[in-house]
Amino acid sequence: MADQILTVSGLGKRFGGFVALEGIDLAVERGERLGLIGPNGSGKSTLVNCLCGTLHNETGSVLFEGKPLDGLIAHERTRLGLARSFQLPKPFHSMDLVDNIRIPLLYTVNARRGGHRLTAATIAERCEELLGHVNLADKARRRPRDLTQVEMRKLELARAVATEPRLLFADEAMAGLSHSEIEEILAVLMRLNEEGITIVLIEHIMSAVMSFSTRLVVLVAGHKIADGPPQEAIRNPEVEKAYLGE
Amino acid sequence: MRNSVFWAVLLAVGLAFIVLSRVLIANEYFYFAGYVVLEYIVLSTAWNILGGYTGYTNFGTGAFFATGAYSSVVLHKLPLLLHTHFGLTIPPVPLPLMIVVGGIVSGLVGLGTGYLTLRLRGVFFAIATLALSIVVQTLIVNWDFVGGSRGIYIIRPALAPITGGYIQYLFSLMTLLAVIAIGIARSIERSRLGLGFHAIRDDELAAEASGVPTLNLKLISTTISGALMGMAGAPLPYYVTYLDPTSSFNLAYAVNSVAMPVIGGMTSWVGPLIGAILLGTIQQLATVMISSAANLLIVGLLLIAFVTLAPNGLIGLRRQNPFLFSFQGRVSRRQIWLQFLLPLIGIVIAVNIAGALVQVFFPAIPGLVLAQLFAIATIWPQLAVCAKRLHDRGRSAWFLLVGLIPAVGGVWLFVECYCLSGNSGANAYGPAPDTGVPAALAQAA
Amino acid sequence: MIQLNLLINALVSGILLGGFYAAVSVGITISFGMLDIANISQPAFILLGCYAAYVTNLYFGLDPILTGIVMMPLFFVLGMAVYRLYFFAFERRGEQAIQGLAFFFGLLFVGEVSLVLAFGVDYRFVSAGYIGPSLHFGIIELPLRMLLPCVFSLLMVGLLQLYLTRSFIGRAILAVSQDGLALQLMAASPKKIKQIAFGISIATCSVAGSFLIIIQPVEPSIGRDYIGRIFAICVLGGMTSIPGMLVAAMLLGIVESITSTFYGPSWSPAVAFGLLLVTLAVRPAGLLGR
Repeated sequence: MADQILTVSGLGKRFGGFVALEGIDLAVERGERLGLIGPNGSGKSTLVNCLCGTLHNETGSVLFEGKPLDGLIAHERTRLGLARSFQLPKPFHSMDLVDNIRIPLLYTVNARRGGHRLTAATIAERCEELLGHVNLADKARRRPRDLTQVEMRKLELARAVATEPRLLFADEAMAGLSHSEIEEILAVLMRLNEEGITIVLIEHIMSAVMSFSTRLVVLVAGHKIADGPPQEAIRNPEVEKAYLGE
Repeated sequence: MRNSVFWAVLLAVGLAFIVLSRVLIANEYFYFAGYVVLEYIVLSTAWNILGGYTGYTNFGTGAFFATGAYSSVVLHKLPLLLHTHFGLTIPPVPLPLMIVVGGIVSGLVGLGTGYLTLRLRGVFFAIATLALSIVVQTLIVNWDFVGGSRGIYIIRPALAPITGGYIQYLFSLMTLLAVIAIGIARSIERSRLGLGFHAIRDDELAAEASGVPTLNLKLISTTISGALMGMAGAPLPYYVTYLDPTSSFNLAYAVNSVAMPVIGGMTSWVGPLIGAILLGTIQQLATVMISSAANLLIVGLLLIAFVTLAPNGLIGLRRQNPFLFSFQGRVSRRQIWLQFLLPLIGIVIAVNIAGALVQVFFPAIPGLVLAQLFAIATIWPQLAVCAKRLHDRGRSAWFLLVGLIPAVGGVWLFVECYCLSGNSGANAYGPAPDTGVPAALAQAA
Repeated sequence: MIQLNLLINALVSGILLGGFYAAVSVGITISFGMLDIANISQPAFILLGCYAAYVTNLYFGLDPILTGIVMMPLFFVLGMAVYRLYFFAFERRGEQAIQGLAFFFGLLFVGEVSLVLAFGVDYRFVSAGYIGPSLHFGIIELPLRMLLPCVFSLLMVGLLQLYLTRSFIGRAILAVSQDGLALQLMAASPKKIKQIAFGISIATCSVAGSFLIIIQPVEPSIGRDYIGRIFAICVLGGMTSIPGMLVAAMLLGIVESITSTFYGPSWSPAVAFGLLLVTLAVRPAGLLGR
């Protein structure tokens, strides 16, 4: 079997009587760009939350680089190399952008066992560097409230990247953005992928997903109904039915 | 300022305060009142570590404070107990040791409460702290060894370990505790730990996703906060000499430890200090003039007012409303009349009428006193706005001091600020403010 | 034999008490359980209801329960005003929970101290024909001063449940508690609905307060004992469910009554709070975020 970075088997999640996810099997290859799509309420964000440890799944197991994740809480999974950006950006409002980036550096990179402890000077450099990669270097000393929508999204991604992940969940990072802004974000994600980070892109914007992904997974009403190369997955009659109705 | 330097300065200031007051002030009342204000400095600084820095509200200050007090009671009675039941003789437990023990016990209580409830949303932690107060109080009420509901009498030692009376000794200890609390707060503020706390306060989910071990940090915060509160409570039995559950769990401690940081400002160690000194001193002075219930009413009203109107407290006012509170920039003659003096006169009249009405219908509530307090509160805005008018006329704000010259000074200042127009165009203090005259006309003049 | 007698009467007392506790807690089930507003000042409004009943009873000889019902519209308006202020200061800005909590804490405190200034710290009570006599069924004693509030409480809670599940506004309240956005799409304003709901939660305090002063003499600081009770009942009852809240209220009433009978009344306040702490520690379902 090729190098699987993430293996999900039979994952299920309920909210009281409501079944949000059921029997999800998913294998993510190292280095690929996986697109995860589905109508509203299909469970995409719930799946991301379960995989990242924000929510607890009742059934199923998850292996990350061969290691079981069950029972690990969110910050432990981040320290293993799993990162995510949030659908609605959640910056640290009371701090400037540099400190926003400093937190994952202090608490993930420095905290990793067997990892290299960064000095304060290195951390400061790294913050500027990471902000520079997303073109936010000139706003480094500003607060998140001074940022535009797309800049907040970029900050969100920069913060996730600061944790030095091997797998990144980009949760609807492009909702509500203009065409050129979408291109900007896609360029950032593409560059990250070229540097070796496996990307799972959760998105509604079909053009972006189709052009970016090497593989497509479709969720409908908590079940996976398609999994394969983008063009094939789209042509799946179940997918058409889910998006366009009977 | 580097942290080590700050600690050195802080310690020096603390010691200077102790020595100077000992040398200069003989009035016992100063030490009694001062002890309470210092106590509040410790309590509000401690509260702010969990509340302001980490974002978790604690309403159970009384529980931690009283835990410290009652652990001292236990240690105070320990020598007698050991002697009568086991024939062991140990010397009386020294107060500094009691303070340490009080801190440890309260810290453990904080850790326990946190462990039970910090996995849940912040609001449940707050409610749990309310519950904690009642639970601990009920336990004490039913524990006869420490006096139960009847209370207990503690006899102050005749001699203090250092020169001077015992109350001066307590005052000195509390000053040192205040130094320790402030030092710890500032150290945390600047550290990796403090950054983690702030991340939790700003967005706990995002913090967790960034690798911050939120539960552990919250437990640390609760433990430190609780421990400091316990340390503040440890000397209490010797201060009051009669300790009973109702007074030690007094809701006043809970409200004040919330109100002082809120009013002073929760973002740094300066806020609780200012809040405690200001509010603490006002309350000590007010208790002689008005009833303690009316006193607490004022605190409650101030808390509500600040939390709704000035959520960043006094230290945040400059940024929140530069016109009224900042000493920088310029203000025009038109602005000071239309945006300041006239509204102020209206508000002062309204407040005084309201105060008089309250005084008439509810004699127990000192309406007119509250109205006077409002007048005192306008001093800072008056100074700030006048300073900006002086800037507008090209003068430094130091000219405000001219107003201190009897009669003449006041008149000069009034004329300067309210009657004369400012420099046209920009000057050393900034660009021209809005004078109501269109720019083109102003240039031509 | 004597023990059994005590136990049965403690049980009966507990049930009667539980019914009353339901009236006290239904308000917080609405404001906290459904609207997610941690109104810890609720006991202050209940005490206001107590003293309102006290004043009308003292000066006009009015029946306390009647006062409680008549004052409901006033309390409703007061509740809406408080929500308005809360919304202006916090919800609109999306401020931290911490400041909302401090606001209600300040309100609780100002309420208690104002009552102390207005009425003093002495215990106050009302007089009515049903305070004193009891019904007897064999060994079971039913004090009327507990029976009547219990019956009326259950009536009020039942009516509220009907209102919430049958009327348009009631169902809108249930809807907004689950999804404010969906409500907006239905062209109803979440803010107005929340305002009405909060007003209702305070209106219940008028009646609950009149019951309280019938059951026992009151003084301003007893409100603090009720904070733990109402939140314990709301949390135990599953937060949003009124039937659940009723069961929890009964449970608490019974446990408190038995503790009081066999271990002494000084342990009573700790029962509710202890129960709350234990519930928070072991029943995380439904309490972990929304």
